Amino acid sequence: MKWLVKLYPATWQARYGEEFTEVLSTQRISMGLLLDVIGGAIDARLHPQVRSEARENSKGEDSMTNAMIRRCSAGGPKLSPRDQKIASMAMVVSSLVLAGVYLVLTKIYRSAPAVQALGYGSAPMIWFVYEQTAYLRKRPLFTQILVAAAGVGGLYLFMFGTCVLASKL
Amino acid sequence: MRKSKEDPELDDFGRFSEPALLILVSLAEGPKHGYSMTEDIEAVAGVHLGPGTLYGAIARLESRGLIEALKSEDRRNPYQLTALGERALRARLNSMMAVVRAGQRRLANA
Repeated sequence: MKWLVKLYPATWQARYGEEFTEVLSTQRISMGLLLDVIGGAIDARLHPQVRSEARENSKGEDSMTNAMIRRCSAGGPKLSPRDQKIASMAMVVSSLVLAGVYLVLTKIYRSAPAVQALGYGSAPMIWFVYEQTAYLRKRPLFTQILVAAAGVGGLYLFMFGTCVLASKL
Repeated sequence: MRKSKEDPELDDFGRFSEPALLILVSLAEGPKHGYSMTEDIEAVAGVHLGPGTLYGAIARLESRGLIEALKSEDRRNPYQLTALGERALRARLNSMMAVVRAGQRRLANA
């Protein structure tokens, strides 16, 4: 019967395994007992109450600060002021270009779904341009163009599909 | 049952709320380890808690600070009520008492 404890998550076993096994060994084997233990194991996996030591150590008064520091040190690529300046410039230029294109298209096609999609999608597109310019600057030019084109194109197609659907409702 | 504003700790225990309450009642007598709790609960309430249910409720009570484990030499960790656990138990018993009194009053008038 001791094998039943292995159904529980490792952190749970480390905390309650021994005493659980102790209590389990005093019980008479039955279908009800099996169901109770299996139900408990499923619950322990779905709603873990025992935190792993690593997670426990990360708890504390300054856990948010720690999380931010970890994110900055691990994830956020270390953007130099120059990288940020270039990305900001790309964002401003792309905003102006998109605004210009939008104005021209509105003049010609008025509120066609393709024009509306450009209007609605421009904000996330501009943000995407900033992110890609900042974080892909050290990648080959081909990669930068491919990722930016795929991202902006994908966003536009999504918005276009949404606007077409909305126009049919 | 009417929920008291003073005992929110047991509200989100789901199917473990009754076992958790029985564990708190058992520990109100003094520290006990898992096996003693099941014996006591069976004697007091006539309910047999399987180890899966027992430790599901113990883990919830401990993670919310309503009970705490005491240091032990052997494998059987005894648990005791914390001050928060005692308050939660009192509040829950008070709200149950209010329901019992109301029920008895209404039955007397029936």
